[in-house]
Amino acid sequence: MLKYAFRRLLGMIPTLFIVTTCVFFFVRLIPGDPARLVAGEQATEADVLAVRTQLGLDKPISTQYLNYVTGVVQGDLGKSLRTKRPVSEEVGYRYGNTLKLTFLSLAWGTIAGVLLGVWSGRNRSKWQDYTGMAVAVSGISLPSFWVGFLLIMFFGVELRWLPTTGASDFSSYILPAITLGTSIAAIIARFTRSSIVETLKEDYIRTARAKGLKESVVVWKHAFRNSLLSVVTVVGLQFGFLLGGAVVVEAVFAFPGLGSLLIQSVNFRDYPAIQSLILIFSAQFIIINTLVDILYAILNPEIKLS
Amino acid sequence: MGTQENMLQPGTPGIAIIQEEIKSPTKVMLRKFLKQKNSVIALAFICFLVIISFIGPAVVPFGVNQYDYSAILQGPSSTHWFGTDEFGRDLFSRIVLGTPISLAVGISAVTIGAVTGTVLGLLSGYYRGWLDSVVMRICDTLFAFPGIILAIAIVAILGSGLYNVVIAVAVFSTPTFARIVRSRTMAIKESVFVQAAINLGASDSRILFKHILPGAIPDIIVQYTMSIGTSILTASSLSFLGMGAQPPTPEWGLLLSNGRQYMTTSAIMTIFPGLAIFFTVLSFNTLGDGLRDALDPKLTE
Repeated sequence: MLKYAFRRLLGMIPTLFIVTTCVFFFVRLIPGDPARLVAGEQATEADVLAVRTQLGLDKPISTQYLNYVTGVVQGDLGKSLRTKRPVSEEVGYRYGNTLKLTFLSLAWGTIAGVLLGVWSGRNRSKWQDYTGMAVAVSGISLPSFWVGFLLIMFFGVELRWLPTTGASDFSSYILPAITLGTSIAAIIARFTRSSIVETLKEDYIRTARAKGLKESVVVWKHAFRNSLLSVVTVVGLQFGFLLGGAVVVEAVFAFPGLGSLLIQSVNFRDYPAIQSLILIFSAQFIIINTLVDILYAILNPEIKLS
Repeated sequence: MGTQENMLQPGTPGIAIIQEEIKSPTKVMLRKFLKQKNSVIALAFICFLVIISFIGPAVVPFGVNQYDYSAILQGPSSTHWFGTDEFGRDLFSRIVLGTPISLAVGISAVTIGAVTGTVLGLLSGYYRGWLDSVVMRICDTLFAFPGIILAIAIVAILGSGLYNVVIAVAVFSTPTFARIVRSRTMAIKESVFVQAAINLGASDSRILFKHILPGAIPDIIVQYTMSIGTSILTASSLSFLGMGAQPPTPEWGLLLSNGRQYMTTSAIMTIFPGLAIFFTVLSFNTLGDGLRDALDPKLTE
């Protein structure tokens, strides 16, 4: 098992390397002269030259690449054009906010999704199933920014119960977390339901029922425990997805996280920041997905690792 | 004649098998699909949206950018069903005229992604070797970026605008199709009828498009339908963030983002564009669910 985990972790390195390289060329792919774009329409030739030096675009491409890779390895993400300070500084304090928001959304989304999925699955083809799955398919079809708006209008503007922006205290996390968790709950509910439906067909479930066990024991102790494996996998994958998916929700709530930083940077054409953020988003996505794979292998007794 | 009829009485086991065989797979699929009322309604709604897209300009009561400063930020009334915006433009007309935009963006992006992904998947699954390694590496790399982040990155390179959103969404939907078609291709390639065709000397293109592709079509259709819903959501999110459609386009995501400033005074501005996106995406997802169940041979009636 250790060997497998080690191999998977090592296997991540080429992908991380390719992604890093892609992100490097990403800024160089911008049509025209990025330095001129950054400097603005009215910039003089000297201004453009200054920006070019600042971005390091005046050096040969191989030197640029080498500097960039050594920088990334040492955790140096370059200087933001907007704040004129190291990108890593701003990322640092926002990262915690995004992480907290993600955990909160995932926690309630998982609980709600599992409950809804089990409820639908154990009542297959009855009204509960149809209701549950209608709710779930609606959940994955809702535009998150719209859900955010409705929550702001109702709880923020109308009732004035909850703050609608920032991340100053716990209460300001509630509305963004509800918004972000909605689609997660829906996706998890769909997976849990189909998994429960499959498991309930198994022979050992019939045996458990024949023994005269209570239906709730059969469902939760026998069926759900077996479905847990696929649920854990989906939850894990959602975690990686959430860290990126928070972008829109953070923008709606003006939440000081990584996502809203990305939007600000794109609007400001702050290329060093965009570059670093995309790198961070994809690196954490790769790492989490690999960890989920390893976790799956640990949890699944059927997988034989050669 | 009479004796034959007696022989062919339904209910005898042999007859039941014959009757089963007569049903073509298409008919079975259609029957399974029609049984799912939700999906049929969803399909009808999508057809309705397509019709609206074509006849919209002829039937809406107001022009898309018809300003009326005497009627700004109004609530719903008999003249303005969904109210008006800050320039007095009729929101009902604008939402109706926004239908073809969202449909076109979603459908064209996913079509580009589906065609590219299918061809790549067929080729890499059939020839394997270095081509397969390269294609799968590219897919892995694209999968390493969370969807919306990849789209934002592409729009940041190409600039804002609906065309670039289409490209961005097409790029991130490609690898999914490539993977699905590749695994199908590898499975079907080993089947007896394909091996027979190879031994008979059929050309590669004939085998790929006449023998293997039809086997992958059901998977492609389901993924296609589901992807359109997701793409419409992504495209409207990008427009909402200011990276997609630009004013005064009546794109739904943009209408919503515009309504944000008037949330306290004219909440209605954000309600209807959101409903439009929601129902459109919901219909594509419901249709996709229905098609998946209808096309899944494991699910019996």
